[in-house]
Amino acid sequence: MKQTDNRSTMVLVVLSAAFCVLIAAFTFEWWGVPKPLPPIPLVDPKFLETKTWRQSYADLISLEEDVDHFDCYICHEEDKKSVLKFDANHRVIIPEEHEDIVMGHGTHGRNNDCFNCHNDKNLLLLQARGIESLKMENSTPLCGSCHGPTLRDWEAGSHGRTSGYWDRSKGPYKKQDCVNCHDPHSPGFPGRRPAPAPNHLRHVSAPSAAQPSTQH
Amino acid sequence: MNADPEKNTNDKPKEMDRRSFLGASAFAGVGLAALAASLKPLLELDDLTSMEKFLQKHYKELSPDDMAKVLKRIEREVKDEYGVTPDVKDLKPMDGVEYVYALNLTRCIGCRKCVHACAAENNLSRDPELQYIRVLKMPHGSLDVGKSNHDYNPESVPEKDHFYMPVQCQQCENPPCVKVCPVNATWQEADGITVIDYDWCIGCRYCQAACPYSARHFNFAKPSIPKERLNPDMAYLGNRPRKMGVMEKCHFCIQRTRVGKYPACLEVCPAGARKFGNILDHESEVYKILTTKRVFIQLKEELGTSPRFFYYFDV
Ligand code: HEC
Ligand code: HEC
Ligand code: HEC
Ligand code: HEC
Repeated sequence: MKQTDNRSTMVLVVLSAAFCVLIAAFTFEWWGVPKPLPPIPLVDPKFLETKTWRQSYADLISLEEDVDHFDCYICHEEDKKSVLKFDANHRVIIPEEHEDIVMGHGTHGRNNDCFNCHNDKNLLLLQARGIESLKMENSTPLCGSCHGPTLRDWEAGSHGRTSGYWDRSKGPYKKQDCVNCHDPHSPGFPGRRPAPAPNHLRHVSAPSAAQPSTQH
Repeated sequence: MNADPEKNTNDKPKEMDRRSFLGASAFAGVGLAALAASLKPLLELDDLTSMEKFLQKHYKELSPDDMAKVLKRIEREVKDEYGVTPDVKDLKPMDGVEYVYALNLTRCIGCRKCVHACAAENNLSRDPELQYIRVLKMPHGSLDVGKSNHDYNPESVPEKDHFYMPVQCQQCENPPCVKVCPVNATWQEADGITVIDYDWCIGCRYCQAACPYSARHFNFAKPSIPKERLNPDMAYLGNRPRKMGVMEKCHFCIQRTRVGKYPACLEVCPAGARKFGNILDHESEVYKILTTKRVFIQLKEELGTSPRFFYYFDV
């Protein structure tokens, strides 16, 4: 009997010692620390930008930015009307001075006559069908004169974007103009690089071969 | 097979043989190792709950005085941790307001700006990453969430023959997550927003399992937010920093919407696909959209959750 007692004491001592050693092992990480996962890079602040991708003439004026290229009569003469020239495919030929303009309004560039929108007698004005001429910074009614249903959606708030306060009694709001999102000369919405994909599982999200980009 | 040590000792007081002794000590060794390993995390426990927080009452039972104290405590905690003095408010629902979100699937281009603007506004953990919005890419003509992909990463979006569907908390009128919460840490407010009291949540994750939209997220680790990106405009039921072990989810940017502003995901959308407002106001954009547009989707409508988040198409 005595012998068994001794033995159990011994077993207990050994087990306790083992326990202490194990605690120490876990505490001081004797088996090493797993390599930390690579940090997730912070998102580029450009993706947090709330401005529309394009600044309209109205924006440029209110921000007091350079609007020289809107000063048509630096180059044009008041009483000399520009005559449009078209190539064999009925595409408008754009003069070198306006090379930053890419005309591509609608399929096959259907809306390519500058004077569909610009007043031919006063270049500083816009001209829509059925309404008097508009100031350059007031282009939304111009777009609406041809895009009636879209204008209606825009007015109801379903097309375009309203920024600021949903509660109009608490603060200001701004309905973004068509030209904040559409270049009047090439109004298709341009494609862009998406912001980073989720990192839930920490896999590196490189452009995957499985889903090649198909547009632009 | 090893002899069963228990059985041996039960039969008659017999001395352990060498074999069963080795077996038993191996067994005990493994057990001890497990115990030792399980104690390890205690060492990392640095932010023990303060007595003040421990004794805090349920949100709905806090008097204005209690709340003022709680907000002070949160301010202090944020200051200690981030070195930034926040402006923490307890914002209540406005009278005669019920929020509705509408998302135009014809417009969404899948750029994911909303995902990141949301993280910035709502002080979401960046590493490990937690996001309230997931943008699903789906082939045209289908609406099968099962076939969607949210890891897409092409050079340019939108991609041909696909559309994108951002999913976040649908702010259900009949929220399953609220029903399963054993401690009432989450509830629906008068303006329709389902909120979570992060100080009351016990982290059981029942709500996560109950949510059909995977909109609820658990903080498995301590959230990390770089100091310089902390948004100091905070609300108690909104974007105040969370701790490890609690749930969180989209709350329609309570800290913005309850002071009359649009949510952050809407403000950042370059395509104007996101619409938000008070459905009880007949002049609001969402009211006009819901009364004039014809095609709507309430995600997983058949479950009877009755989302306040509507997807629509321009037709
Ligand atoms: C840097 C000088 C310059 C400025 C500024 C300028 N133009 Fe021109 N523009 C020209 C020249 C040069 C031509 C080609 C000769 C012509 O047709 O008069 C031209 C041609 C045009 C044409 C005819 C296009 C064609 O295909 O032939 C239109 C329309 C026009 N300009 C509109 C404008 C408007 C509107 C503005 C102001 C918002 C403006 N321009 C400002 C230099 C300028
Ligand atoms: C669909 C209507 C439309 C057509 C067609 C059009 N424009 Fe414009 N254009 C506008 C509007 C609207 C603005 C003002 C944009 C803004 O606010 O940013 C503008 C601005 C301009 C400007 C000044 C800003 C700039 O981009 O340099 C020039 C120059 C100009 N147009 C030239 C032309 C010429 C040349 C043509 C024909 C080749 C033409 N436009 C055709 C609507 C049109
Ligand atoms: C003179 C009439 C006219 C005016 C003014 C006009 N558009 Fe258009 N627009 C058209 C036509 C025609 C099309 C082509 C429709 C088609 O091809 O189906 C078009 C197409 C478009 C498209 C679709 C383009 C695409 O590539 O999918 C957009 C966007 C657009 N316009 C925006 C505008 C904006 C913004 C304005 C105001 C700056 C404007 N339009 C002013 C006639 C007009
Ligand atoms: C917040 C940005 C935004 C504003 C503001 C905006 N649009 Fe658009 N619009 C878009 C996007 C995004 C598309 C989808 C384009 C695409 O997929 O190429 C679009 C598409 C269009 C189209 C193509 C037809 C269609 O419905 O897909 C027309 C036409 C158009 N817009 C006209 C307008 C007019 C007119 C206005 C002003 C009354 C306007 N837009 C204001 C973002 C905007």
